[in-house]
Formats: sequence, C-alpha cells, structure tokens
Amino acid sequence: MRSSLNVGEYNSTYNNNNTTKNLSMMKKFTFLITIIAMGTGLLKAQTFTDGLMMSKNDLCTGFIYSNDAWKKYWEGNLNRENGNIGTVSTKSVSWMGAYGISNKLNVIAMLPYVWTHASQGTLIDMKGIQDLTIGAKYNFLKKTIGTGDLSTFVVGSYSTPLSDYTPDFLPLSIGMAAQKLTGRFTTHYKLGSGWYATGNLGYTWRSNVTLDRPAYYTDGQLTLSNEVWMPNVLDYSFNVGYIKNGWQAFVGYTQQNTLGGGDIRRQDMPFVSNRMNFSKIDATVKYFIPKINSLAVWAGLGYTVTGRNTGQSTYYMTGLLYTFHFAKTAN
Amino acid sequence: MKTFHSKVVSLFLAFSAIGIVLGVQSCDKEVETKEVLGVLAPASLDQTAGTWTPIILTTNYVTQVPVAAPTAVTSAAYIAEIAAVKDAQSKLTKSQRNSINYWSAGGVLRWNQILRGLVANYNLPPAPNADGSYPLPDSENPFADPAFPFSNPPYAARAYSYVSVAQYDALKAAWFYKFLYKRPSPYKVDTSVESLMPASDLPAYPSEDAVMSGVTAEILKLLFPAAVEEITLRAAEQRNAALWSGKATASDISVGLALGKAVAAIITAPGTGRFRTDGMANAVGNATQWQALEDGATARGEIPWKSLDMPTRPPMLPNFGKVKAWNMTPAQIISERPLPPAPTKSSEMTDEVAEVKYYSDHITRKRLAIVHKWADGAGTYTPPGHWNDIAEEYIEALDYSEVRAARAFALLNMAIHDAGVGCWETKYFYFNPRPSQLDATIRTGTGIPNFPAYTSGHSTFSASAATILSYLFPAGSQYFNEEASEASLSRLYGAIHYRSDCDKGLAHGTKIGGYTVSFASKDGAGN
Repeated sequence: MRSSLNVGEYNSTYNNNNTTKNLSMMKKFTFLITIIAMGTGLLKAQTFTDGLMMSKNDLCTGFIYSNDAWKKYWEGNLNRENGNIGTVSTKSVSWMGAYGISNKLNVIAMLPYVWTHASQGTLIDMKGIQDLTIGAKYNFLKKTIGTGDLSTFVVGSYSTPLSDYTPDFLPLSIGMAAQKLTGRFTTHYKLGSGWYATGNLGYTWRSNVTLDRPAYYTDGQLTLSNEVWMPNVLDYSFNVGYIKNGWQAFVGYTQQNTLGGGDIRRQDMPFVSNRMNFSKIDATVKYFIPKINSLAVWAGLGYTVTGRNTGQSTYYMTGLLYTFHFAKTAN
Repeated sequence: MKTFHSKVVSLFLAFSAIGIVLGVQSCDKEVETKEVLGVLAPASLDQTAGTWTPIILTTNYVTQVPVAAPTAVTSAAYIAEIAAVKDAQSKLTKSQRNSINYWSAGGVLRWNQILRGLVANYNLPPAPNADGSYPLPDSENPFADPAFPFSNPPYAARAYSYVSVAQYDALKAAWFYKFLYKRPSPYKVDTSVESLMPASDLPAYPSEDAVMSGVTAEILKLLFPAAVEEITLRAAEQRNAALWSGKATASDISVGLALGKAVAAIITAPGTGRFRTDGMANAVGNATQWQALEDGATARGEIPWKSLDMPTRPPMLPNFGKVKAWNMTPAQIISERPLPPAPTKSSEMTDEVAEVKYYSDHITRKRLAIVHKWADGAGTYTPPGHWNDIAEEYIEALDYSEVRAARAFALLNMAIHDAGVGCWETKYFYFNPRPSQLDATIRTGTGIPNFPAYTSGHSTFSASAATILSYLFPAGSQYFNEEASEASLSRLYGAIHYRSDCDKGLAHGTKIGGYTVSFASKDGAGN
C-alpha cells in the first residue's frame, strides 16, 4: 500500500487508524483518494518548522505572497505610533521548493523578493531580492505511541543575502543582511483522527553585518566601526492542527527572542542589532484543489501579540504550490 | 538499503560539519573599533606652547590662573608623594593597568572619542506629546523625557568647540607653568618609579592629565548634565592613570586639577563667561519668532519653509545664527552670507526640484551608500563629529604633544562651529522649503532635517572642516576636499537638498574655514 501510493505520511495515517473501516471505501473512492493522497503530499515539508516530510523524489514548489503591516510598534518596551512613518508595510513574494531526497531527508530552499513602504513621512520605499535560505530536514525518529505517531526532526539551514541591500534603513530595510545558520529541533505528534501538535525549538547564529557608515551608537555606546555585532536568536513555537482529506489547518504560537542587543532609544530609529523580540499567534489553512492535479493553496493570518523593538504587525499570506512526482517507484 | 542509509547519514554529517564550521566562525564575532589608538610618545615637547595665542584666556596666566611654585623634589612632602606612587605601582590591578593603557593613547584623543559618544547618546529630538506639541529639553531637569540636551548638529558643533578650546587654553596655561617650574616626572626624580607610559622630558607640574580632566569635566557637565556619572568617572580615571603610570605625583595632579577647573570657571562664569553669554540661551527662540520667520518669507513673496515632521515640529535652533562665532564677527557672518536662492516660484527652482526628484527616483545602491555614509542624523555624533573622526587619525599619526593635539581639535571645531553659525544664519534668513515640501512625491534616502534647506549644513560644516584640516595637514588636502564634496552631494543624492544648497554651502564653508586658518597662521604655534 505504502509504496503503491507513495504518499508517505498521509497514507500511513489513513491505514493505521482507519484500516478496517475504510478498506472498502478505498476501492470505491480510489480515484478521489489518489488525488487526495497526492494532494497531501503537497502539505508536507514545505516549511522548516512543520512536522511533515516530502516523500522521496517529490518536489513541491511554488510562490507565497505575504503582506505584513504595522502602525504601532515597540520602542524598547513602549508601544507607540510614529507620524513620521505612519503604517509600515512589507510585502513579499517568495519562491520556495522542497524536495524529498528520501522519505527521511528533505531539502528545502526559499528566496523572497521584498517591498517595503511607509504610509507617512518622506522615507523612500525599499525593494529587492532578500536572503536565500537552503536547508535540510531529517526525520530521525518515527514511532507509534498510543494511538498516534511521533516524529522528530532536526533541521539545519543556512541563509545569505542574495543582493547588496542595506540593513541600515530600518524599518524600511528589506532585511538584516546577516548570514544565518539555524539549527532546529521539531517534534510532531499526530493522531489517526487527523489532529496533530508540533513543537519547535530553533537557534540561529547570525554573522556580523557591515554598514555604509564609519560609526554608530547602540546599546549605550558609540562604536567606531562600520561592523555591527549581531546577537543570536532563539525561537520556539507550538502548533495545533488538523490534517486530513486534502485539508490542513492549524493555529500556532511563536516566540522569538534576540539574545542581546540594545533597545530603540526614545524617538530614535530602529537599529539592525536591536533586541527584537516578539510573540505572535497565527492560523493557516492549506487546501488541495481536487480537480487540479497536485496544486495546493495556502492562506494564513497572523498577529503580533507582544514585542520589543518590533512592529505590532498583522499579516496575511497566501500561496500556490505544485508538486511534481519524479521517478515514482513501483505502482 | 545500506548504501542509501549511509548516503543519508553522510549527507547529514556533511551538513552538520558545515554548520559547525560556520557556527564557530560566527561565534568569534566581537567587533573591534576601527580607531585603535597607539601609545602616544609625543614627537615634540612644544616648550613654547605657553606663548601661543590663547582663545578665551589671555597670556597673562599668572594673574588669570595663578599656580604656586611646587615644593622641592627633595622635600619630605614630595618624597612621601613619590613613595605613594611606588606603593600604588606595586599593587596595580589588571583594571588599573587597563586604565593606564587606555589613557596612554593621549587624553585629548580619548576625550574627543568620549565627547563623540556623548553627542551621539543625546542627539535625539523630543518625542511629541499626546496633543501633538513637543516638550523642550530642560537643562534644569536633564534626566527627564526629553533628556537634556538634544545635541543636534549646531548644539554639537558648539559643544565640540567649547571642549576643544577649553582644553587648548588650559593646556597652554599648563605648559606655561610646566616650563616655568620645570619639576620633572616622578620617574626622572626617582629611577625606581616605573614609567608605564612612554618617558618624556616634559615637566610634570602641573599634570597635563589632571588639567585636562578638570577643565573637560567642568565643561562637559554643563553640556551633558545627565552624563555626570560617566564624565566624573572618566576624569578621575585619567588622573589616576597619570599617577599609577609614574607620570605625576599627588601634588602635580591636585594643582593640575585646580588649574583645569580655574580655566573652566573663567569660560563658564555665570553672567560673564563666554559660554554663558554667547547667545546660545536664545537659540531655540519662541513661537512669536517662529511665526515671524514664516510671515517674513511670505511677505517677500516666497513659499516659507514648513516642518515636514509629523506632528509639525518647531524649527531647530532658529537663532543659532546669532550665536557668537569664534573667528568671525557678527558683521562678517552677515557679509559672508550666500546670495539668495532662486525664488521658490521661479522656473529655476522648478528645475532644481526636478533634479532632486530625479535622484529620489533613481536612488542607486552606490548613491544610497554615500547618503548613509554621511547621513550623521539623529542618534549619531553629527557631521561635526564625523569631521572629528576624520581628523583623529591625522592627529594621531603625527604624535602631537597633548597641547598641539588640543590646538588641532580647537582649530577644527572653531571652524566647524563658525560654519554652523554662518549656515544657520543663512537658513533662517531665507527660510527656504525642502524639496519634499515643494514636491510631495519626493521621497528621501535619509531622515529629512527639521530646518530650512538653503544652504546645506553638511556642505558648510564639511568645507570649513576640510579647509582648516588642509591647512593643518597639507598632505591630506585632496582627501579632505573630496570627502567634503561627497558629503555635500550626499544630500542631493538623498533627495533632501537642492544642488544649489550644496554648492553654495561648500563655497560658504570654505570662506568660513579661511577665518580660522587666518587665526591659526598667526597663533605662534607654527604648523
């Protein structure tokens, strides 16, 4: 069964929990199930933080559009608005791809193009290709516990700017311009009913960045250099979701803490090495379009609940992803 | 299966290895200052510095800032002081040795760095009140929000100049007494005293480090009252380092401290001191004066400057143009004022706006880097600080004595302050709008300053600085002038100034710098 459909996780879940009940139904809805099964392939391993994997030789690729906007932001811990910037919006279109080298090892890549804009004041919009992230995700443990499956993953990813954008024009810079190396540990537990929970812990090393100016003041001191020490970042998140029959929906909580850096001073501009912390909640839905083979639609919403030196942003995203099944094994 | 597994494992291991290597590299990422200062071993004693022309004091140091003759080096009191130095040296901690190393780069250079840090720390405009008005920084309540001061470019220009001039005058007085009394350094008197900074024949009484600590701290406490703790600690550290290093005894230091404070007292005497009477107290102006500036421009048929801050902010220091200059009279400030800009409603101005619009629409990465190199806006050490930054390496490279280093910064910062006065006088005389005011579609590559456009402050500061630095360090002349031109053009590239603001500002600054060159060429210090 498993190899015949080659849809990995969806299929195994289906069988583990509904075998007797659904064996006959499977025949009846073979066509539909095949489509759904392929569709669920799209729901897998499309991000670094989820608990899903692409099956061997499957390539999922597509584009995601996101729109993030904030009017209030935290100047240090002070929540405020600023008439000189109004609402700052960041739009991006990201290409992404995930490929199953094996059922246990996926490679993932991502590259956004970013536009920023301030609704008030005179500061100019920025735009450009941001950072390429490439990474590998390895499912080192998969085990049935109780009525569900436990999977654990390690993820390693590397990120580097692909254009020479400036990180010294916040909040309108399109990124931080640091090279990043992230190590991540993910635990995913899924019940046969389709309910699942995912937990994530990530640590990101960031390289120093270089500014176009010979000196800067941050964190209580003047530094006579164009080089800025970038604190590392710790993040963790927790998702609860439901995945079945071509649908995936989940809600999540994410916390990110920058492990060092100064606060934005009163009425100052933000600075690249600021201690940018936030916690946010989000909800995402992914849906496989039944009539169009291998095409999936994503949509999500998020909101920053608390923060420090970050915008109190609301964002939405939507994506369209397509899965190619290369070199399918026996059918 | 086996080979597949080993493939996966080796891939994973390879990835981890790359990760570890990159991780290790990024762990070692401490940022080193690009301004590493070497240990100062002055090339000359500058024995005649006591005769160089003072700026605020007169050469009659004996009546102005008297210093009594020291006790003989054979006296019991002095021998006890030497013993105290040796005792201190016998138990130096690592932190004390670090202090010696820090100050061995030269007090003038170190205080200049500290001052740039203070300017950057306090260079933030007040945040608006809930009703859209702005609170004023209050020197009587400097720790409040807003903090005092808002060390914007004119404030900073004046601050750099007072600190530099006060140090320079105090050190000339110190040199006068050093060579009058000729008391040697402890390590010359008693060879068992270690010399932990380069040995020199400079007499120790009064200690130049103590003089500097006293005069600098007193001036800085007025300029940056909320930084009193940092200032006081630094000043004490400088005196301690002088003693620990074997350069000075307790009496060299106490007399030096008193001399430094006496010079500061003359400069800052309430009611009579130059610092109190130079017009800075009125530089902010009041609502009636701000309205009169706008009405005046309207009456001349021009479009008056309007603040583009939101909410609208009162103009920055509109009466700074009436603050006393160092090397120019008020009449010279006015006579050197650039001719009027193109009328705001003229076709020339339309063309100027169109050129700015072009740069706004074509803000290349290369030009943006130039804009940001020179932005020196809120939260930075300002353009005057940038020129101190540039001067530092030239001063350091020539191993100037403390008094000659102080002269270089005093000349530089007088020229910069005078540029600030001349430029601000021009700005508020014409009250010309910024490009984004005349064409709201012009977006800028850096924050838009909250004062009129004509002429460019960056251009004026930079040309004046480049002029005096070219006089002091002729070998760097081409570099200084290229930097000044780039600083000037950065404001056009950033779409916050018209080209004529930049060109006229550069020419104005060059003339203003000439007045300080003229002073310098006759001050008796040679070059």
